[in-house]
Amino acid sequence: MRLAWGLRVAAVAAAGLSLAILPFLVGDYRAFELGRMGIFFIAILGLNLLTGYTGQVSIGHGAFMAVGGYTSAILATRCGVPDYLTIPLGGLTAGLAGLLFGIPALRLRGLYLALATFGVAVAMPSIAKHDRLEGLTKGTTGINLPELHSGTWLYGVTWAIAAALFLLAFAIVNSRLGRAFRALRDSEVAASSMGVNPAAYKVAAFGISSFYAGVAGSLYALSNAYVNPDVYFVSLSLFLLIGAVIGGLGSLTGVMAGAAFVQFVPPNASSILDAVSPFAVDSRAPGVPSVILGAALVLVVLLAPTGAGGLLRRISAPLMGRLYTRSEGG
Amino acid sequence: MTRTRVSILAFGLVAAVAAAAAGASPAADPGLTASSILIGGTAPLSGEASSAAAVARGAEAYFKYVNARGGVNGRRITYKYVDDGYDPGRTVQAVRQLVQQDRVFALFNTLGTANNLAIRDFLNSEKVPQLFVASGYTAWGSDARRYPWTIGYIPSYLSEGTVYGRHLVKTKPGAKIGVLYQNDDYGKDLLNGLRKGLGSKAGQIVKAVAYDPTSTNVDSQVAELKGTGANTFVVFAFGKFAIQAFIQANRLGWRPQIYVNAVSASSNLLTLATQTSSKKTTTGAISIVFAKDPADPSWAGDPGIKLFEQIMKRYVPGGNLKDGYYSAGMASAFTLVDTLKKAGKNLTRQSVLKASANLNEANNPFLLPGIVVKTGPSDRFPVEQMQLERWSGTRWTRFGGLVTAKS
Repeated sequence: MRLAWGLRVAAVAAAGLSLAILPFLVGDYRAFELGRMGIFFIAILGLNLLTGYTGQVSIGHGAFMAVGGYTSAILATRCGVPDYLTIPLGGLTAGLAGLLFGIPALRLRGLYLALATFGVAVAMPSIAKHDRLEGLTKGTTGINLPELHSGTWLYGVTWAIAAALFLLAFAIVNSRLGRAFRALRDSEVAASSMGVNPAAYKVAAFGISSFYAGVAGSLYALSNAYVNPDVYFVSLSLFLLIGAVIGGLGSLTGVMAGAAFVQFVPPNASSILDAVSPFAVDSRAPGVPSVILGAALVLVVLLAPTGAGGLLRRISAPLMGRLYTRSEGG
Repeated sequence: MTRTRVSILAFGLVAAVAAAAAGASPAADPGLTASSILIGGTAPLSGEASSAAAVARGAEAYFKYVNARGGVNGRRITYKYVDDGYDPGRTVQAVRQLVQQDRVFALFNTLGTANNLAIRDFLNSEKVPQLFVASGYTAWGSDARRYPWTIGYIPSYLSEGTVYGRHLVKTKPGAKIGVLYQNDDYGKDLLNGLRKGLGSKAGQIVKAVAYDPTSTNVDSQVAELKGTGANTFVVFAFGKFAIQAFIQANRLGWRPQIYVNAVSASSNLLTLATQTSSKKTTTGAISIVFAKDPADPSWAGDPGIKLFEQIMKRYVPGGNLKDGYYSAGMASAFTLVDTLKKAGKNLTRQSVLKASANLNEANNPFLLPGIVVKTGPSDRFPVEQMQLERWSGTRWTRFGGLVTAKS
């Protein structure tokens, strides 16, 4: 028993160590890419808490990322706050924005809620460009952050935060709060008859989820050292939802796959086509990469409708079951 | 929480050590061998602006043509351009990949105003030349002191707007001007230029209405401008929005004198606008031009356009021979080749940068005859000359001589 425990600690330590030295093995640019993946991991994690666990679809999380990103950029350039210290503040500001949006959103359900959140994503660039706010946001010219960080820095900071936020999400999902979220998702009537206050919990889910988006948006601003309304473009919100669906709604283990898809598939669409297509298609012709991205998405949804998390469960369940019966027999 | 902080500190420490080690050995500049030069770029192969990717493909075709003739000083040019979907966040990642992973010698022809603003700090801190940016934002030239590694190419939007303003002052003293402009740096740059060109007559702008590039149409803006009783309609709008402006003016029965900015004034676009609105609306519209438009029949037999068609047929099979984006890409590629020649056999990033700020190129076959691509230590605007042109209903006709307006 004690030996097994020791092994487990050693395994965790070895995994931690190899993750820590990874950026030095793969080079600074790959570390940057993995850091960006960590940013999407955080955003999708938060979206999953809202959409996957509480059943409230949001196609507007790019806008909450923007709130976090602008908070960081403004604090770092105007107030001289070291940029890494602005990350939690970006999260809190976005969380507050999410709470405020969550209150009127209570009246909306399903498709209507999805449309309202999409409205936020569409409106965000125009709000950031508005004449009244231009002094603060610098309109379309955008804000250059004072510090450029290396890929290794981004990797370390992002994944340290991602690990902490993953543990937090895990704790939330397995707490009273998480049970209330799932109860609301499965049946609001049943949940409220059990004493769950739908309004309070839904607003809480919006706030928590937007906090995650804000942290991600803030890290995204730091990774680019630049914000402008186009950085948090409308489709970013769609990409996050796509990532959540690919990872598997209501599954924390699949989030990694969703983040990997959002990070790696769009920029590599042409190379993917070259690798798999039997036809001589000009994969770099304008527009072709968009079609490949669409096709990849359709394939994933057809082949693994429950996402990576569901796939993992389907594969691991019989294995685990067999392990269990064997140990019982022996 | 403490564990997070400790790991951040640990990562930071290791990163600092690694950075110090990496900076220790200065060698020849990256991306160069005795027989090759690796140049990087970004272009929107996907997304809303993907039609403009032809700029990068045109440049690539020209480099292939040059390579087939022995390259530049014995070096063949490889032009690696990456899709950024017109998203500045992806441009940052693509440029990091090109600089750190692919180790390109320089960046060339990166497309989009915000996209270039997003990478300018990084490239200048890494001292990688950001050459001939594919955007007319005025700051590429005017910020040269702060960003010495960045240089633009096409006439600035500010100078283009100024040319329209001056033309109005000269030809239409009683003009009541309504302006439709895109709500970003590009639209505002043009509008500021127009005001500058009008000078003391700037009060003749009765209304300037903005539209957002994410909106679906500009119908209400055009109606609002018509309502002011304006007799001159200045369209500083991009692509489909410019076409919509013509359509809506036609629908409302509004027949003002129209000015339309150069990025939305290709023959293809105006032909489409004529078909979807009416000949009456588009005829007489005024714009500027600085490159030879392959769709303009008056260039038939011109050696530059012949060369363009020859290169297209050979290196971009199936590409549209009337698409001005391709020839625009070739024009800047021609200037890059010229710059590399000037920088000499012992290329360094520094020598190429210096050559780019010392151009005096009078023979660019893809630009209008007489245009000299000229830069100097205090002049970082390569193409500054342009010519006014008027739409006849079926084609553009250039008029007046070459004009300039200093930014």
